[in-house]
Amino acid sequence: MAKITWKMQDGTVISAEVKDGLNLMEAATANNVSHIMGECGGCLSCATCHVFVAHEWLAKTGEVDDIEDAMLEMTEVEREENSRLSCQIIASPELDGLLLHVPEPE
Amino acid sequence: MRREDPLARCDGGEFEDYWSLTRYEDIITYNRNFELLSSSRGIRLEDQSYEEYLARRTFQETDPPEHTHMRMLVGKAFSRRVITEYEKTIRELCDEILDQSLPLGEFDAVKEIARQLPMRMLGQIIGVPDDDLDWLVTKGDELIAASDPEYASPLAMDDDSDEYRLLPFRSPAGAELYDYAKRLIKDKAGRNEQSGVLELITRPNAQGEVISDTEFRNFFCLVVAAGNDTTRYALSASLHALANKPELLKQLQQADGDLWDTATEEMIRWASPTMHFRRTAMRDFELHGKNVREGDKVLFWFVSGNRDETQFDNPFEIDLTRKPNRHMAFGQGGPHVCLGMWLARLEVRLLLQALVGRVKSIRQAGKHEFLRSNFVGGIKRLPLFVELNSS
Repeated sequence: MAKITWKMQDGTVISAEVKDGLNLMEAATANNVSHIMGECGGCLSCATCHVFVAHEWLAKTGEVDDIEDAMLEMTEVEREENSRLSCQIIASPELDGLLLHVPEPE
Repeated sequence: MRREDPLARCDGGEFEDYWSLTRYEDIITYNRNFELLSSSRGIRLEDQSYEEYLARRTFQETDPPEHTHMRMLVGKAFSRRVITEYEKTIRELCDEILDQSLPLGEFDAVKEIARQLPMRMLGQIIGVPDDDLDWLVTKGDELIAASDPEYASPLAMDDDSDEYRLLPFRSPAGAELYDYAKRLIKDKAGRNEQSGVLELITRPNAQGEVISDTEFRNFFCLVVAAGNDTTRYALSASLHALANKPELLKQLQQADGDLWDTATEEMIRWASPTMHFRRTAMRDFELHGKNVREGDKVLFWFVSGNRDETQFDNPFEIDLTRKPNRHMAFGQGGPHVCLGMWLARLEVRLLLQALVGRVKSIRQAGKHEFLRSNFVGGIKRLPLFVELNSS
């Protein structure tokens, strides 16, 4: 299990205990985190599960591969250096306490 | 069927029998499992040989990673951020279309409105002259609606379509569209012209990869065919709803931004124009006590998932405030989720916004007619009376 927190731009937060092995897009939609849609079910086709990973967590959430890198060009809110598609981050005990900022269009 | 036999063995008539998967939850679970249920042997219930499949396929008939590769090339041109930039253009097109149609008072709303917007938007996307659009859309209809005698001759299922079996969608229109796309690439290269969303996809992506001519040609057919009629039928279902439920029109006339968000999704759920996509089992598996064999066809009935009462309260009612509304009209939940979904959503929203601002009442002026198809479902004729605001 890992406690994951999603922080919206207005400061509101949603936290959930997420089972190991579940990807964080699925965890977000299960907890009704707005703006995280996950339209392709985590198949890297849609870029609708974009998050900004809190900088101190970047190393632990892993590397962005070529496909994710290309898909990050298609996000609604423009990518930044800490951008990830949350379907590619898998819950594990090492991610306990992870903070994700949810991008919101203006 | 959804309640009692959620994975039903169905009689395929002249084609092989097939399995129908009809529950929301099952479709969501299996749609992403492309290793088990592959798109690479066809995506409609009609059978095709390996030879036919090779000749006719677009990236719809591929699985990841091949599919993902193509998605990487074309995705940006249809991303939400790029599509949002078309808002002003779409608004202008909506005004133009309604200026021409509404003063008629009584008219076929499919012909005058629902067919018009996606067709004119297609011109913007592929950067072709307006004069070519009607021809292109007619050919697109011949591809998709090949089982409706009004749209196609010869019928895809008739024997005399045999000579066309290696063409996209088993239709002679596929060959004509191929030729058109080939000319288009050549002309554009000759004039060094930069226009349309499609221009974006001919540029190298961040990885330096470029779309091949064959990929472009197949993609062109897909955009002309798949992107067009589906948005049309989403619009015609919405217009039909407004004409028959005046309270919905009233609700939209007083709508704020949040209501427009939910109303657009609900109209698209309600319409569910693409009724199914088919997959093929890559190995034996068991589900709901049934044994699916390798090579069997399994159909995802998105139109049924969108009416599943375990996922949607009152699924047969239009609730413009429905939220959450995780419908599957765009094939959500798998790698093939509709590439054009942001464009479709924007077109539906802006057309309805422009319309409800202009009219006092809408009602049906005669019987509507459905397209004959087991693939794309929608109203192809919708006679309406429209009363304009007096101002």
